[in-house]
Amino acid sequence: MTDLKDARPDTAETASRSNRTRWMVLLAVLALALTLPLARFLGTYNYILQVGIVVFMWIALTSSWNILGGYTGYISLGHNVFFGVGAYVSGILLVYNDLSPFVTAPLAGLVALLLGVLAGLITFRTKGPAFIVATIALLLVVFILMDNWEFIGASNGLSLPLPPFPVEWVKVPFYYAMLLTAILSVMLGHRVAHSKMGLALRAIAEDETKAEVAGINTRLFKLMAFALSAFFPGVAGAIWGYSLAYLRPTAFFLISVAAQMVLMAIIGGRGTVAGPVVGAVFLVALNEFSITYFGASEINLTITGVVMVLALLFFPLGLVGTLRENGRLPVWLDWD
Amino acid sequence: MTAFLQVVILGLLLGGVYALMASGLTLMFGVMRVVNLAHGAFIILGAYFAYYLFEWITLDPFISMILAIPVFFLLGVGLHRLLFPRLEGSHRFGEMTVLLTFGLAFIVEGLMSFFFTGIFRTTNPPYSTEAFIWGSFFVPKGQFFACIASAVLLIGLWAFLKWTRVGSGVRATMQNRDAAQLVGVNVRGVSTFSFGIGMAVAGAAGALISFLFPFFPFRHWQWIAILLSLIVVGGMGSIKGAVVAALVLSVLSSIVTTELSPIWAPLTFFLALFITLIIRPQGLFGKTRRI
Repeated sequence: MTDLKDARPDTAETASRSNRTRWMVLLAVLALALTLPLARFLGTYNYILQVGIVVFMWIALTSSWNILGGYTGYISLGHNVFFGVGAYVSGILLVYNDLSPFVTAPLAGLVALLLGVLAGLITFRTKGPAFIVATIALLLVVFILMDNWEFIGASNGLSLPLPPFPVEWVKVPFYYAMLLTAILSVMLGHRVAHSKMGLALRAIAEDETKAEVAGINTRLFKLMAFALSAFFPGVAGAIWGYSLAYLRPTAFFLISVAAQMVLMAIIGGRGTVAGPVVGAVFLVALNEFSITYFGASEINLTITGVVMVLALLFFPLGLVGTLRENGRLPVWLDWD
Repeated sequence: MTAFLQVVILGLLLGGVYALMASGLTLMFGVMRVVNLAHGAFIILGAYFAYYLFEWITLDPFISMILAIPVFFLLGVGLHRLLFPRLEGSHRFGEMTVLLTFGLAFIVEGLMSFFFTGIFRTTNPPYSTEAFIWGSFFVPKGQFFACIASAVLLIGLWAFLKWTRVGSGVRATMQNRDAAQLVGVNVRGVSTFSFGIGMAVAGAAGALISFLFPFFPFRHWQWIAILLSLIVVGGMGSIKGAVVAALVLSVLSSIVTTELSPIWAPLTFFLALFITLIIRPQGLFGKTRRI
């Protein structure tokens, strides 16, 4: 996990210089991200924007997962529940009340957050492996409910009206909305990591009994972590669902979706702020590559598994974690 | 009343098979603190093992079950040797193994989908569609034989743990790993061995599943979720707990199946899990860990 003390003995001057480098790189990346829709004038535009949307979505999901699975050390294998519930909340509001998901996305996040509190109240009765089991059971319960609830189309799914944008610019609003979601969720991750709450969460991850003895209200902080980690997946789900224009349970509630979040966090570096971003970019690139060259989805599943096993065995700290351990983490990736 | 008893009988028959599957999983957890998320995937692999032997040389699934035991035992020993030594001594062994077996489950599922495709399969030995009529009760032959086979395997496992030297080592390790090591139990060897036994049970159970339920690779997630619920309800690491939970919940789920709909049957297991967590988080026969 993240060390509380910094490995590099920074003087005030080098610190401010590295701070400046970091911000310049981040602003450059942001500027690139903001101007990417202009690629429309260059060709291959929809593909680039779609990859951008997917990357931002995974950044939002994985950063949120990281609050619970990284900082707190409670691994949720059912976190896509919140992603899917967010999609359905906004989808239902769109179909039945004609409210745009871009408006209702925060509400979807809020519903996901409340569901997170409820899930936390049950699953935090236990810890370790039994907690993981409970999150898987939660996922399957929600899946079965969604798959059989006629009001939302059951397993046939729910068709959404198409977004009312001119067809050549249709991806742009989704792109910016997802970009904003990704940025906000990384900022939330950073904010939590640097707050008293983050300290408490890391103490819980290290040794929950000791944390409790030290006077930390572990129950409260764990619940808050679960709630916060459920919010942005709900928002991202609302936007992603609208961009699909068609919601069906198997697009959201498969455990492989949770597996991707976990895998991205591990590859990037669990418990670091930058890790989920690095992991999301790396894994989306790998997926695009393997879909292009292998096509068949069974192979992708196997690759996901192989990458996960290899990462855990040989690379458990992830990219950011390993680089930091060796003191080679570039300044612009050091967001902790 | 007769109708109700009929449902209970069907539930108990399936419960025996559930008990077999769950006991392998809980044994692995008890000995090694490994929650094997790939257990369901290996059960499905066992089902394919029986399916193809039946298709190619019409080998009876019960013979396949016996063959699966050594094959899956060796597979388990190999996998354990390959995967787990690197994680030993890890600060977070428990969660690392969960994630590792999670990855393993995807590898097995992906390979099965690739080689065996995603089509629904079942083996059709003659007894899978026949039934005994005993008085006013109807007992499907396939489920009856599968339950007997599960009971024999479970009793064999129990006798092995109770009366052999290796079995005592396994039980000692389940009770207290450090103390077992202190009195001279080869804990690492016992762990590898138990993983093999757990896998052998998974393979054998898979052969039974092959004619009880239609299966395809993706199906293993539902199985593993049900089995994990069973071992948490029974108390993780308690074989007795797993068996009791399997029998009780299987009866409940068959009641749900007939009274409501088969759709909601899996929910029985998950709701039982949540209720257990709320009322008695350590499970029926679980030990509370005191500081």
